[in-house]
Amino acid sequence: MSSDVVNTKRAKRQTAGPYGKVGNAINELDERLGVAKGGRTFMDKIFPDHWSFMLGEIALYSFVVLVITGIFLTLYYIPSTDLVTYHGSYLPLDGQRVTEAFSSSVNLSFAVRGGLLMRQMHHWACDIFVGSIVVHMARIFFTGAFRKPRELNWTIGTTLLILAIVNGFLGYSLPDDLVSGTGIRIAYSIILSIPLVGSYLGFWVFGGNFPGTTVIPRFYILHVLIVPLIIIGLVGAHLFLLVRQKHTQFPGKGRTEKNVVGTPMFPVFMAKTTGFLFVVSGVIALLGAFAQINPIWQFGPYTASRISYAVQPDWYMGFLDGALRIWPSWSFHSFGYTIPFEVLIPAVLLPGLLFNIAYVWPAIERRFTKDNALHNLLDRPSDRPKHTAAGVATLALLGMLFIASSTDVIANFFRLPLNEVLWAMRILVIISPFVAYPITWKICKEVQALHGGGKRKTANVVTRTALGEYVATPAPKYVDDEHQELDATPVPRFIVEGDEPESSGVRVADR
Amino acid sequence: MSDHDELRTPVSLQGIAADDPHLAPAAHNPQIVERVIAVTFVLGLLLVAGFGACYWVNAKPWTLGATMGGGLTFLGIGLIAWGKYLMPRGPFVEERHELANSEDDRNALAAAIVERGGGVVKRRKMLAGLLGGGLGIFGVVAMFPLLRSLGPLPKGTLFSTDWKKGTYLVDITGRRVHQGDLAIGSIVTVYPAGLENTDRGQAVDQTVLIRISNENFTTQKGRETWGPAGYLAYSKLCTHLGCPVGLYEQELQLLVCPCHQSMFDVTNGAVPQFGPAPRPLPQLPLYIDADGYLRSQDGYDQPVGPGFWERGASLS
Amino acid sequence: MTSSLVKRAAIFTFATLVGVGPLIVFASASGASGSPHTAYQTTRKNAGTPNSSKVTLNPSTGVVISYGNKYITYNAPSTALVTLGQALFLQNCASCHGTEANGVPANGTVGSFPDLVGLGPATIDFWVDSGRMPAADVRAVQAIRHTPRLNPAQAVAIAAWVNSLSPSYPDIPTPNLKNANVSDGAALFALNCASCHTIEGDGDALASDTFSPSLRNIPAFEVVEAVRTGPANMPRFTGNLSDQQVDDIVKYVTTEIQHPNNPGGFGLGGLGPVAEGFVGLLLGVGILILIAYWVGERQ
Repeated sequence: MSSDVVNTKRAKRQTAGPYGKVGNAINELDERLGVAKGGRTFMDKIFPDHWSFMLGEIALYSFVVLVITGIFLTLYYIPSTDLVTYHGSYLPLDGQRVTEAFSSSVNLSFAVRGGLLMRQMHHWACDIFVGSIVVHMARIFFTGAFRKPRELNWTIGTTLLILAIVNGFLGYSLPDDLVSGTGIRIAYSIILSIPLVGSYLGFWVFGGNFPGTTVIPRFYILHVLIVPLIIIGLVGAHLFLLVRQKHTQFPGKGRTEKNVVGTPMFPVFMAKTTGFLFVVSGVIALLGAFAQINPIWQFGPYTASRISYAVQPDWYMGFLDGALRIWPSWSFHSFGYTIPFEVLIPAVLLPGLLFNIAYVWPAIERRFTKDNALHNLLDRPSDRPKHTAAGVATLALLGMLFIASSTDVIANFFRLPLNEVLWAMRILVIISPFVAYPITWKICKEVQALHGGGKRKTANVVTRTALGEYVATPAPKYVDDEHQELDATPVPRFIVEGDEPESSGVRVADR
Repeated sequence: MSDHDELRTPVSLQGIAADDPHLAPAAHNPQIVERVIAVTFVLGLLLVAGFGACYWVNAKPWTLGATMGGGLTFLGIGLIAWGKYLMPRGPFVEERHELANSEDDRNALAAAIVERGGGVVKRRKMLAGLLGGGLGIFGVVAMFPLLRSLGPLPKGTLFSTDWKKGTYLVDITGRRVHQGDLAIGSIVTVYPAGLENTDRGQAVDQTVLIRISNENFTTQKGRETWGPAGYLAYSKLCTHLGCPVGLYEQELQLLVCPCHQSMFDVTNGAVPQFGPAPRPLPQLPLYIDADGYLRSQDGYDQPVGPGFWERGASLS
Repeated sequence: MTSSLVKRAAIFTFATLVGVGPLIVFASASGASGSPHTAYQTTRKNAGTPNSSKVTLNPSTGVVISYGNKYITYNAPSTALVTLGQALFLQNCASCHGTEANGVPANGTVGSFPDLVGLGPATIDFWVDSGRMPAADVRAVQAIRHTPRLNPAQAVAIAAWVNSLSPSYPDIPTPNLKNANVSDGAALFALNCASCHTIEGDGDALASDTFSPSLRNIPAFEVVEAVRTGPANMPRFTGNLSDQQVDDIVKYVTTEIQHPNNPGGFGLGGLGPVAEGFVGLLLGVGILILIAYWVGERQ
């Protein structure tokens, strides 16, 4: 090509072909990176459409909100435990000696325009992030989406849940207010409870005996850099595997193990999912606007001998707090050593056990069902009563532990004796899985019977004959042309606009 | 090449007619839906513009969130509705390709690793062993500075407090506690004199001082002289998880931990009555000096706070 | 004029230090032995002494009318109210506390009801004025704050009569919030009060069916009365908190606790992370699931 022709705008427009600037840009990119084929495949990618497949997107988009609001907060937060005298706009703290971490957290709430909204959005986004991960995980579990070939993605997802909880706790600790400081104190004591190495680990994490001097800076760098980086990496891997293995789908018309029926990436899915990103951000912003969360200025700064009654951790740590409350005071004191089982079992072994079961669950189930086949079609939860009942029993146990973390609030709200509420929770926690399991199992069986094993029963028309007999005949199939589900078609490469000559198969051949 | 490509992207090479029902919008009445979406977009547009205005005039935080959140929600709902009702209804289908390769391909990869790599390692076992040993040792020793530099060793710090023989009890302002200061039924948090505003004084040495009605009350055998003039002092660190046990119920004579509701019997050496705490709160032996000030006879006779491995087997 | 006042105050302070000091010891000893259940029950008698710089005496009788400082003024109930107070007491209180206010009702057993003699006017005023007494349910573990059955003046009258049986302190306080420092109050509140009443002042359930009441709706002088007298299970704060410090706490309670600014939106009832969790999960995740239900296909 001679440069004198190409360099004129007119010539460029002429060489761009029928797709104008976009086509031109694709030409330029493709010559350098070879994006045309992959890009087209991506645009044509089919996403099965079901409302429950959007639950993971809530998590993804609340994470986006977390990152954006978090970046805003890092611009004003100072991770330091150096003492300063607060002289800000919140008068009840005026003149108090507080750490820079606390002072900067209050200042970014009151002195920075939009700061309080950002802080509250960040916190609400966190609550929703972890919550939607749990709901998403439950969907994966109950529909059997974790089965071969998706065990690895289940493992990544479980890791993401743990990291989300850990990072939530780290972030919750950063303002160094009275409530979060109490949480850090408890975390230190939990580390201390680990036999043999606990005291060493505690000293190393905190840089000395509690409260140490380095815990806020260390939590900060973990919270804003290290853990988020791992989360972003794992989310990338999670989505890559999702694209690589393609999404699962519920059984239905024309849906098999070997195809995917749904909406194409562009434009339908992209419009819906981008819209959903806006909605998730919008709902979080509305919560941040109208529902006050974690008013650290009321809590005041943390000092080790101050405490507030009725302090609970954020909801996702609630099951641990509940377990710590209801576990009896069984401690081991023998042979010159102490093993604080009253802390070790509920706060270390219990979550360790739960998450490890989650990790190996696909393997356990494969062992029991002897099912080594690939599964791309999902189950209805009612189709596998034992599996569903096991999941509900676990959720019941966790839910009861969560409720047990607010025994004092329950006792106060219903004016019940505190000790009796605690005893009731001990009993409820123990029996809840054993009650939930058979009930769920029975419900699954009933639902199966209702649906006739997942198939819809055909309606009958009962007619009275001239002789007075009643005769049941199958009802004629109701056909609604508007709503009748069409047979799925492959995504068209182009649309034939009737008699336009250039819209023929020839262009495909040109490629 | 082209055959392979067709396998990877098995979409139809044929076009689709413009009036194909798959391309029709899902909505029965697209015009109305379009108008509704237009209204949501206008609302969203106005609200996000309002967000800018609210920010500009530095309005209250809730107005910022309401305009931004409302605007984004409206824009999002409009966009979703556009995708759901006005875009081609489909459904469309795509084949799943088996991710697994052929047996031969797998064997080829395995052979590449086992034969090339295995051959190399087998032939030079010693070298491989040395390299593996070196990396293994590095893996272990690299942990030393990574862990050890994080903080000091606990040594004895978990076992001792700063309460010594004759230490004055002072409150948060540093004022010494005098015999006449506390009325019966009072509680105050005390620290060793001079440490009331230090991390260690706050986190380790913090002690609750309670005054009960009895003179020289004995909370447990062997503690006959520990509570002069009804003054009883217990470590404020819960033996469960180290929360400050600042909740005193004077008629029930209970110290309650606000974190997990362990309840300690003040009149019986703070033995736990209820809740998860496994050990009594250590009691600080007190005496009243000639000037009437409260001082500690000695330090605590056991480590304060939550349990840990090296703590020892003694319960008191 | 002023010098004589200071002189009188000094004499009074000396007298109380000498006179009331041993009385505390005496009272505590007798309280301990008199209790029917346990040997270690506390007594609340002689809860405070007017150790202040500004004491006003009745010029004719020499009885203390008021004392205090620029932070809190304590006023003795007028002796003119004694007759009215006795009548009200016999009507409303004597069925349990006895006609002598010594906790011995006409047909009741000794030790079932508290002996009120010598508790000081502030204690009586607090219980009656907060509506806890006369008790709605005498069998309840803990009296609950109610709309008062007796009006403030009647409460003071009862306090006047009970106090006339054995004069004691503290008198009925009036905090002067103009001289209080809300920031010091916040710090003192966190150290001394939050461990029971919670940092947001909502109160919560305590051991054995007791509870710490909410502070959201309490008049300033009742806060002082509670702090100084330690009603029921609440510990008493006397020598360990100065009038200035109590005044600071009262200011914090009556401003930030009772009328929080809540710049971040609705305060969610002050229940903290429990309420936040419910809102985050039910409202946040719940609404988003509903929207997802709309966005996606339903089978």
